[in-house]
Amino acid sequence: MTSDGRQRLRVAIVDDEDLARAVVREYLAELPDVEIVAECANGFEAVKAVAELRPDLLLLDVQMPKLNGFEVLDLVGRDVAVIFVTAFDRYALRAFEVHAVDYLLKPFSAERLAAAIARARERAGRGDKIPVQALAETARTGQGFTGRILVRDGPRVHVIAVASIDYVQAQDDYVCFRCAGKDYLKEQTLADVEASLDPARFVRIHRSYLLNLDRLARVELDARENRIAILTDGGRLPVSRAGYARLSAILGE
Amino acid sequence: MHPILGRLGRLASYLAVWTVAAVLMAGALTRLDLAWAEALAFLVPLFVVYAFACLSAWYVCRAFPLRGDRLLLVLTSCGLAALTASAVWIVVARAWIAVLGSTPAFAAASTRYDQQLPLLFVAGVLLFLLASAVHYALLALEAVRNAERQRFELEGLTREAELRALRAQLNPHFLYNSLNSISALTAVDPAGARRMCLLLGDFLRSTLSVSGQEQIRLADELALADRFLGIEQIRFGARLQVERRIDPSAAECRVPPLILQPLVENAVVHGIAGLVEGGVIRLDIARRNGSLSIAIENPRDGDEPAAVTRGTGLNNVRRRLAVMFGPDARLETHVEPGSFRAQLELPWSAND
Repeated sequence: MTSDGRQRLRVAIVDDEDLARAVVREYLAELPDVEIVAECANGFEAVKAVAELRPDLLLLDVQMPKLNGFEVLDLVGRDVAVIFVTAFDRYALRAFEVHAVDYLLKPFSAERLAAAIARARERAGRGDKIPVQALAETARTGQGFTGRILVRDGPRVHVIAVASIDYVQAQDDYVCFRCAGKDYLKEQTLADVEASLDPARFVRIHRSYLLNLDRLARVELDARENRIAILTDGGRLPVSRAGYARLSAILGE
Repeated sequence: MHPILGRLGRLASYLAVWTVAAVLMAGALTRLDLAWAEALAFLVPLFVVYAFACLSAWYVCRAFPLRGDRLLLVLTSCGLAALTASAVWIVVARAWIAVLGSTPAFAAASTRYDQQLPLLFVAGVLLFLLASAVHYALLALEAVRNAERQRFELEGLTREAELRALRAQLNPHFLYNSLNSISALTAVDPAGARRMCLLLGDFLRSTLSVSGQEQIRLADELALADRFLGIEQIRFGARLQVERRIDPSAAECRVPPLILQPLVENAVVHGIAGLVEGGVIRLDIARRNGSLSIAIENPRDGDEPAAVTRGTGLNNVRRRLAVMFGPDARLETHVEPGSFRAQLELPWSAND
């Protein structure tokens, strides 16, 4: 708390251009009770900074190498408020769908940034949370299905190519992506994951399992007449009645 | 005036056809009653006169265009015109008979001429109808040609407009980002801000000035690209580096304006901008067997799928090349996991 009762706002600036960060830094220096805790030149650095430094607010560019702004938000959005700062107006709608605090178009004035910071403070005071659902959906690029899954592991980010996923398993509030013997946990629902993946490739074979069809070797009946999916690596997953119907529909049996 | 009257050659061949018709008709008349000399002396002048009369069919045909729903009107008007023309012709023929009859050589023949007048009237009607048919055919042919010429003209205009639009397609985000860089520089490096303003001004001015031209010197196109890269180098700092290998003799070669610019822009936007560490854009320009060869290569993030948006810029370049050079120019692209290369081949032209 500062003398006038305002919370000190801890900010991270994320932009791949030095000059773009410089102008934000310059403007922020004029604002009271704002502390710049990190400057990040790409999305990975941003995820790391959020995990390690816990800033209150990200000033986030959209088009960056490796991870774009929306992917960063998908990974860390539950922990931090975000103001997008970009030259492109075409992401504005998406930005507000994921409850970004504000959306600044480059070039912008010090006053405009000050207004955005004020909004961030206001929202922090109300303790608003970002809806998880909206995040996962907008992180998808374009209208097509996602080609990669991003999983945060503390300060690290795993980028999983969709083709390398064997199956996805629901585990309480998390989903577990199984890829070549390794597991990656992500806070998301299986229904969200299912919606983001190509339904011709990933089939919900069970309430708790989403299977990559490329990994399916065959379906067998066990001793108690339950259907079991046998994977190419020998793994076994349960298949529900509804799941078997979906499988049959896709495989045309 | 009938178009054939303005062209002596066509008029002569037209009259020759009528003379042949006159000779054929004379042949028919010799079978009936007249001697060859009498028939020819009688018919050839009359046919030549009638040839001109039949040109009036042109006005009839134009006044009553051939249309399915007005066929009766067309037939009636042509028929009436034919009857009138032939009737007038017979009057002229009678006068001609009188003239011929007054000469000693044909004096005896005049009554025999008179007997042929009904036959001549029928021939006159038929010939006029035939002339009308030919005119309709020619008018239809002309209409088709006009439509085709119009289509070509339209196509040309459309292409021109298209070219103008393609050239004008300057990325506004480039401007926004540049202005943002200037905004940042004003505080930390005022001299740098001024340098960037000048570069940007030069770039915009030369973009506008070359876009009105059909062809520009490659040197000018390269200067434009250099300004663009200069601006982007201020923005991206050490992440953007450029290596040029340019055949000096290529400077005077003529190229369509802004043909290189979209490729250079792509190399920055879809290549360098996607890399954390940045990289080197390689520009290679050489003269090769009568053509200009331009290669632009940039590193790219191998994890990213080849950008979809890149396609529009490349397609615009391809279309412009196709319009201007047809099969003589081409643009090929090579995508590797970690690099992208655009290879442009243009016909070499360095006149004036």
